[in-house]
Formats: sequence, structure tokens, C-alpha cells
Amino acid sequence: MFRYSLAAIAAAAAMLVAPIDASAQQTLAQVKARGSLNCQVGLPTPGFYALSAAGVWSGMDVDMCRAVAAAIFDDPAKVQYQSVTSAVRFTALANGESDMLSRTTTWTAVRDTQLGLEFAGVNFYDGQGFLVSKASGITSARGLDGATICVLTGTTTELNLADYFRANRMTFTPVTNENVNVLVETYLGGGCDAYTNDKSSLAARRSAFPSPNDYVILPETISKEPLGPVVRHGDNNWGDIVRWVLFGMIEAEEMGVSSANVTEMLASPSPGIRRLLGNEGNIGEGMGLPKDFMVRVLRHLGNYGEVYERNVGVNTAVGIPRAGSLNALWNNGGILYPMPFR
Amino acid sequence: MSDALIFQPKAGKPAPPSTLGVVGWVRGNLVSSLPNAALTLLGAYIVYAFFSAVIGWAIVDAVWEAQNRRECLDLVGRAGACWPGVKAWIPNLIYGLYPKDQVWRINAGFLVLVLWAVPLFLPWVRSKVMIGLGLVLLYPLLASYFFHGGDKGLVWGALIALGLTGFLWSWLTAIAEARREAPLLEGRRRWILLAGLYAVSLLVVSQWVLDEVQTRLWGGLFLTLVISGFGITVSLPAGILLALGRRSRMPLIAAVSTTFIELFRSVPLITVLFMFNTMLPLFLPAGVEVNRLLRAIVAVCLFSSAYMAEIVRGGLQAIPKGQYEAAAAVGLGFWQSTSLIVLPQALRIMIPSIVGSFIGLFKDTTLVSIIGLFDLLSMARAVGEDTVWLGLFIEPFFFVTMIYFVFCFSMSQYSFHLEARLGAGQRR
Repeated sequence: MFRYSLAAIAAAAAMLVAPIDASAQQTLAQVKARGSLNCQVGLPTPGFYALSAAGVWSGMDVDMCRAVAAAIFDDPAKVQYQSVTSAVRFTALANGESDMLSRTTTWTAVRDTQLGLEFAGVNFYDGQGFLVSKASGITSARGLDGATICVLTGTTTELNLADYFRANRMTFTPVTNENVNVLVETYLGGGCDAYTNDKSSLAARRSAFPSPNDYVILPETISKEPLGPVVRHGDNNWGDIVRWVLFGMIEAEEMGVSSANVTEMLASPSPGIRRLLGNEGNIGEGMGLPKDFMVRVLRHLGNYGEVYERNVGVNTAVGIPRAGSLNALWNNGGILYPMPFR
Repeated sequence: MSDALIFQPKAGKPAPPSTLGVVGWVRGNLVSSLPNAALTLLGAYIVYAFFSAVIGWAIVDAVWEAQNRRECLDLVGRAGACWPGVKAWIPNLIYGLYPKDQVWRINAGFLVLVLWAVPLFLPWVRSKVMIGLGLVLLYPLLASYFFHGGDKGLVWGALIALGLTGFLWSWLTAIAEARREAPLLEGRRRWILLAGLYAVSLLVVSQWVLDEVQTRLWGGLFLTLVISGFGITVSLPAGILLALGRRSRMPLIAAVSTTFIELFRSVPLITVLFMFNTMLPLFLPAGVEVNRLLRAIVAVCLFSSAYMAEIVRGGLQAIPKGQYEAAAAVGLGFWQSTSLIVLPQALRIMIPSIVGSFIGLFKDTTLVSIIGLFDLLSMARAVGEDTVWLGLFIEPFFFVTMIYFVFCFSMSQYSFHLEARLGAGQRR
């Protein structure tokens, strides 16, 4: 999901700042001095950065913010959420307002190399798909030739769609809007034959349809959308912290350490677990964090699996099955592969 | 010779019954000819279709009690509105993410505003200008503590006390004038009274302890009112100064004013907001954080001042030269002739444009959503993204539309009222 409208300015601004920011090495020190983490999320989106009627933020990406805060302060509540439109997201990171950005941002070459950004990892593998009604009888994206398709305007979604149809020598008529809710309403009102977006979003929206079971998400995935947290270029230590908090949570799941058993696991003889929890080695200290920073993260947030199930798992409104998807662990059919914690 | 023929008018006949009353009005205006009748029918049908659809959706088929959107959908599908979602979000729509147990502070702050403004509408109060000025200048000091709270410090504490003094003085003045006692405002007694009030205020304010509520938690209608309130109160005086500056014969002042006005009028508000919110921090040293809301308010104020300046300049130009000359002839200087002769006449002409600009400003504040402030409109958008009410977006927008309508319509009605009152007997 990438908006072009102000992207050029954002890029220029980001490039202006990144190389000359004298404070680049001190993000951790600034965060500690401030007493809270400025974490940028997007405009409310279910499953990833949702805002409840009680005014509480939650979601996969919000938990990423909370995990970093837990690692630094042992308190996941020490986060100040900044919610800006995607048009200005990189500028708000580049100008120092946000310490990190955690808002379903696709890792792309241009962003990584030209905007002064550093992607710290991937916390969700998404991909673009199509939603159609069962009544239409369409079972494959190949059957969409000549269809009218509802698509978000000004995003990579729109470009992926055009690419896919061109590559397969099919034609389509786009119906565009910049508001997901308007598109969904258009689709439900019969304004288009199919609705396309990232599959996580399709699943979430379908759950709010009058009769969700009358609709299917087609099996094809037409784009790669590796989503993950982002930091500024130039402060490698800060990037390391975010990266290894994320890896640590995935590693913990792989090793079977969860929020429920982390206290018992402290006594575990397994060297891998001992390193993860800071009983051996000095991974945390090397980054300016305490040895047991992963204990803090796991105690407050849990491992990756817990975060996933809590926010977007099958028992939530979003309901994206994890088993067999890209987001399963590498030894479980997915591609989540944390670098060794040693 | 017969009598001269003298014209004797016959007594007037009553108007034909077909042109009188409701029947007459209908015949004259709705069905005077065949095409007219057809148009009337068509219009009536459109009005009927529109309102029956809206009312059917918003009231008849609507769901009023539900735990989540799924329940609504199961009950009526998409045929009726699902109001419980809006109801659950009303605190957020009005107050943003302001801590719910602190919301009384916002209410108290606005209550003070209303109470402070009451003397302005009481017919017997004569010091309306002073009270109005006090309200505009001192209320923000008092409100800042109500809304933001936190550690007062010496200077801020003194300013808050100043605000409270202004409030108390306004009401004492109003009461004194109601009882036809004038001495409150006379000579030394006034200063003693003011000093006493200030001492009391300091004492009272020093006892206030309110938790800090950071501005990033401000939102909803509250935020919209704060931003547009600042924009409105700052833009009028600033616009007047800029307009006078632009007409000034002093080249430097004229050039500065003209540059400012033209610069801000030739860029869209969204650009100004963007510059202030995302570009400004680039030029500040690291670690210096200027409040995001403050930046937005400053941007809105600068922008609206530039527009206001041109409205005021238009008003000033409508005043005949003779007025200036007459004022000069009786020996009034520039500031006296401007404030006593020219501006009062000019402002009266400008009321419709000024209020139009205020209404525009009120609606333009929705643009702050792009820089991450959760104003009324962004909050409405957030309702449909709440997992419990996912996809609910027509209802909150409907609700917010009503709020905007009420505010804008009241503003325009007030301007009509003001025009009628000020313009009585002085119509050109």
C-alpha cells in the first residue's frame, strides 16, 4: 500500500535529513530520556493498528511498538502512538517525530535504498488477492477477464492489478476510490464484480459483510507484500534493537517459550533458551538493553504466535488462518525464519 | 352646463378567492401552468423519494440496540442504519482520546466560556467591548489549564490566574451594571478591585491540581472547536492589521503585509499544514519538539489571517473617501479615525464575508486529519475501522454531517441576526 500523492516530497525530505542527522546514533538515548517510545502507526485498521471505542490501540503492529517499549522500559504502555496518513508516514519518521514506524509498510527496494529508511524485518507476509461472491461461480483469478474490479486508488494495489491483468492478457474495468469502506460498500451494492486488496484486508472486510459465507477469496496471490517495522537510516543500533526484538519473539515461538511459561523457562538448561532469555551471552547489553530484554518482551507481549493469534488469528474478527500460510514458522510450512539468537 | 365629470373610483373588490390563502399560493406558485404543474409533481416526488429513503434508513429500519455490527446486519442487513456503533463512539467523536475520567474538564472549560459570554447578550450591560476583549484575550489562558493541565509553573500559573480574574471581573461588572452601580469602573477603586481579584485568583489557581493530558490525546469535536476557535479569534484582528498594513503608505509595512497575504493566499491550506507539520521539524535542532497541535493551530491562523485581510481590505475600500476626510477634518489621527469612523462602518458591511470565512475555516479544519490529528471527521472515519463495528461508515458520517450542519447553520443565522441589529436604520 503506497500512496504517490506526496511521496515525492516525503522522499525529498527523507533524503535531506537522513545523512546529516547528527543525533542519529542516539535514538535509544532520546527514547530513554523522553520516557516513552514515539511509535508511528497508521489510520485505524483492523488487526494491525485498531482503535477501539474505549480509545485503546491494539493489533499486530501496535504489539510491535509495545514489544520494543517493553524491551526498553519493561512497560509496554510507554508508547506514544502517532497516527498519520500513509502520505506523510516516511516524512514523519525522517523528521524525527517518530522513533519507529510500524504500520503494514511493504519492504521495497526503492523505499529501503532511496528514502533514508531501514527495514528492521518482516512481521507479516501479505499478498494481494481477489474477493468474489460464490454466486459468481468464479474460482480462479484467471476467470476475471473482462470483470469490473474495485480497487484502492493511488496504491501499489492498483499497479499490481494492472500488471497481473496485462501479464495474463486479460482486460478489466477498475472502479477506484481512496476509502476502503466506500469500495466495500460499492462492491456490496453490486458496483463491481470483484474487490481486490491485500488478503489480510480482504479477510477482515469479509468478516463484516452481511453474509460472509457467500463470498470467497480466490487462491491466487498476485503480489508480495512483506510488511514490517521501519526505522531511520543512520542509527544502526536502534535498527538492531527493533530487528532483534522481532526475531526474538519468533525465536521464542520456535523454542516454545511463551508468556505463560517464560518464568519457568528461565531455569531451562537448553543453551538456546538460555541465550534468548539472557542467562548466557550479552546480546542485550551489546545493544544498550538489559540482558533479559526478551524476558520483558515475552512476559508482557508473548511470542510471535501469541501476538498473531491475539490480533489476526482465526478467533479474531479478522480471522486469517496461520497454519500453512507464509506466516507460519519455517519448520511448520511457512517462511518465518528468525536469525540464530547467539 | 352639466356638472363637471368627476372621477368616482369604485370601491375595490376583494381579491378573487382563487388567489388567496393556501389555495391561492398553491395555484399561483405550484400549478400556474401545465409545465409548472409537471415540475411541481416531479419536485414533490424527488423530495418524497429522498426523505422517505433517508428517514426509512435512518429511523424506521434503523437498529438502536446492538452489541456489534454483526447483530445489526443480522437484524436488518444494510437496509437500516446501525446507530449503536455511533452511540458507542460518541465520547470519542466529541472528545477524541481524551481520558474518559477527565472529560469533565472539557465540559467545565466550555461552561466557563458560555458563562463568560452571557453578559455580552444581556441588554443592560454597557461594558460589552471590554468584556468581549477580555473573553478573547484571557479565556484561552484559563482554558489552557482546564484542557491541558499538568505542572503549572510560576509564569503559567500567573497567566491562568489572569484568566480567572478576567472571568470574575466580567461578571462583577455585569452585576454592578445591572444594579446601576457604576463605581466599579471608576478611578482608583477599579485598580484596587482588580488587584484584589487577582490575589484571590492566584490563591484559587494555586490550589488547582489537574493531571496533564497531552494534546496528542485531544480529538473529535473538541479538537475541531479548539483549532477553529483559535483560527477565528486570531484571524479577525490579524486580518484587520494586515489589511491596514497593506493600505499603509509606509513602503516597508505595505510590502511585508502584501508579501504575507499573497504568499499564504497562493498556497492551499493543506500545503501550509503539511509544511508546518512535517517540514518544520526538519529545520529545528534535534530534540526540539514543537507541539503538533500548536503547529497546526499556527498554520491555520496564518492562513485564515491572510484571507481575512483581503475581506477587510474590501470592506475598507467600500467606505467613501469623504469619511476619511471628514474624520481628518475634525482632527482625528490615523488610529482614531480608523477605529472610530472607518472600521465600525466597514465591519458592518463585511459581516457576511467574515462569517462566510469563519464557516469555511470551521470546515477546513478537517484537513488536519492528514497530519495525524484526530479531528471530528477522522474520528468518524475510525468508527468503521473498529473491529467491533467494522465497515460502519455511513452512520458516523451522517452523524458528523449533522454536527457540522448545526454549527455552520447557527453561525450563519447569528450573522443574519447581527446584520439586522447593526444595520437597522442605516441601510444604504
